Amino acid sequence: MIGGELIIDNVSKDFDSVRVLRNANLKIKPGEFFSLLGPSGCGKTTLLRIIAGFEYPTEGAVYLDGKNIINKSPNNRHVNTVFQNYALFPHLSVFENVAFSMRLKKESNEKIRKKVTEYLALVKLEEHVKKMPSQLSGGQKQRVAIARALINEPSVLLLDEPLSALDAKLRQQLLIELDAIHDEIGITFIYVTHDQQEALSVSDRIAVMDRAEVLQVGTPFEIYENPANLFIANFIGETNNIKGTVKNVDDDIITIETDSFGDFKIFKDKEVSIGDTVKVTIRPEKIRISRERPTDTDLPINVLTGRIDELIYSGFQTKYYVTLDVNGVTFKVFKQHIKYFMDDTPFSWKENVLIWWYAKDSFLIEVK
Amino acid sequence: MKKNYGQIYTLPLTLWLTVFFTIPILIIVAISFFKKGLYGGVEFKLSLDAYKALFNPLFLKTLTSTLFISVITTIFTIIFAIPSAYYIARSKKKDFWIFLIIIPFWTNFLIRIYAWIAILGNNGLVNNILIKLGVIENYVQFLYNQWSVITVLTYVSLPFAILPLYSTIEKFDFSLLEAARDLGASKPQSIYKVLLPNIKSGITTAILFTFIPTFGNYAVPQIIGGKDSVMVGTIIARELTVMRNWPLASSISVALTIMTTIGVLLFSNFNKSKTEELRELKRGIK
Repeated sequence: MIGGELIIDNVSKDFDSVRVLRNANLKIKPGEFFSLLGPSGCGKTTLLRIIAGFEYPTEGAVYLDGKNIINKSPNNRHVNTVFQNYALFPHLSVFENVAFSMRLKKESNEKIRKKVTEYLALVKLEEHVKKMPSQLSGGQKQRVAIARALINEPSVLLLDEPLSALDAKLRQQLLIELDAIHDEIGITFIYVTHDQQEALSVSDRIAVMDRAEVLQVGTPFEIYENPANLFIANFIGETNNIKGTVKNVDDDIITIETDSFGDFKIFKDKEVSIGDTVKVTIRPEKIRISRERPTDTDLPINVLTGRIDELIYSGFQTKYYVTLDVNGVTFKVFKQHIKYFMDDTPFSWKENVLIWWYAKDSFLIEVK
Repeated sequence: MKKNYGQIYTLPLTLWLTVFFTIPILIIVAISFFKKGLYGGVEFKLSLDAYKALFNPLFLKTLTSTLFISVITTIFTIIFAIPSAYYIARSKKKDFWIFLIIIPFWTNFLIRIYAWIAILGNNGLVNNILIKLGVIENYVQFLYNQWSVITVLTYVSLPFAILPLYSTIEKFDFSLLEAARDLGASKPQSIYKVLLPNIKSGITTAILFTFIPTFGNYAVPQIIGGKDSVMVGTIIARELTVMRNWPLASSISVALTIMTTIGVLLFSNFNKSKTEELRELKRGIK
């Protein structure tokens, strides 16, 4: 199967004169796994429903393989949807649910049986053909919904928070399977989610949305490592934000003065001039925690002293909340346990520690 | 030991039903097997005369026409009730619409039927409007035929069909209709293939609530009906009050009750069999 190319051209949508989607512009490549990521109420589901044909945009157009589809009814669009609440037909068996679109097309029984079996095998549900939806677990229901949508051979598959009702472990597993299915059939996936982990782990590209607007479009790497603004930095993963004034600009290093803990250095990734007010962000996992000053590096680093205020051990990592000595600012520091008990004695609560990071690991996010 | 309090709790209801429902029915059954008294009442001599009279062709004709009127009324009622109930269930002003459905019950049943004379009568609202608009020159006789009876019976039945349908449709997951549309169904197909099968229990209740009272209705054909729309209920009333043939009125009542009961049992068994099958399947799997 070949995936469709989808162009969202300046789409806006009003509900009762409230703008829920503002000038969305997206170009989704054929076969891409594309995520719409944002908090609830950001307009991502509305955009998905416009693509599916359940909502009509107030302005703009949606092009599927070059043709504007906004005036086509949902049953005439070459897209299919996997709904959040599964939306399986309770009066039909698993087999008939998957066969629904083929029955509408009046395909022969033989053809239906063959294809339904094939798609149920794709989602690993062969043994459950005869069951009714009420007899299935949440994960199984979602698999039926996926098979039912895919059997129609759409060029774009829309997934509306398909995993949000499942527990964490199952979610991970289904996500991996979804990615495998995407690789196998190669059509375009548009995946709506509010869960940044989900979006980061499977997407080719992500559009981050907030308050009816698309804020940034990029690969998971770009979105995480180089967020366009403070909202995205805070929404995708966790981060530490520092506000300060530019004190000195070198060839590739900027020195920033803060009110709270003195000066620190960052790598110059944007043009700034002395006196600018800036916001800098540094991810917690990029901050190291130690008892002694690091000596084995000649790269520019920032070192601060503080005390462990809070310590959350969660198996593979520990989250430390370190409050600085000078001015009560708290830094989040995440330490992965590569060899937790072997390299040194664990840090304890209220212990005085050093935290440090490489200047190149933090980045400028807003310049005024 | 656990005592069965259930029977104690239902005692008032049991008493009520025994005194005011079971005993009267037994009296009716008893009367039907006696000889008719000369001036009403009965002579206490066993007789099957009243049942023999049931095979009178005139009565059988009335029975057929009653069946016809009831079936057509039920069909019309369901056709009107499903869209109304659907609209109310999806509306933001559900309470308001339900209120409107209930309002007619504040007026006496007979008065509501007489109101139809004011609407459909020869000098009634519809005729006057049509004449003013120049659609017709002289009044049209709307009343006193089978179709006027069907119209009014449909009107009478509608709330009883809309309410159970509404309560079923309200629980229906409307995203299923979107799923059907998404999978290639047209609007009518999504209604026919997804909505209707999922509100079957509501449709069953609505059919029973319409058909049973209509089949035994007496007032509507009496007031609105003509010669061609005599219903079984009318005959029972006539035999009881005018002809003073109590055993015959009773035997017709018994026949009516038996027919309705058999009909309901057949209909609900037909509907249940599929649900049962599903339950069996579930048990098998567990």
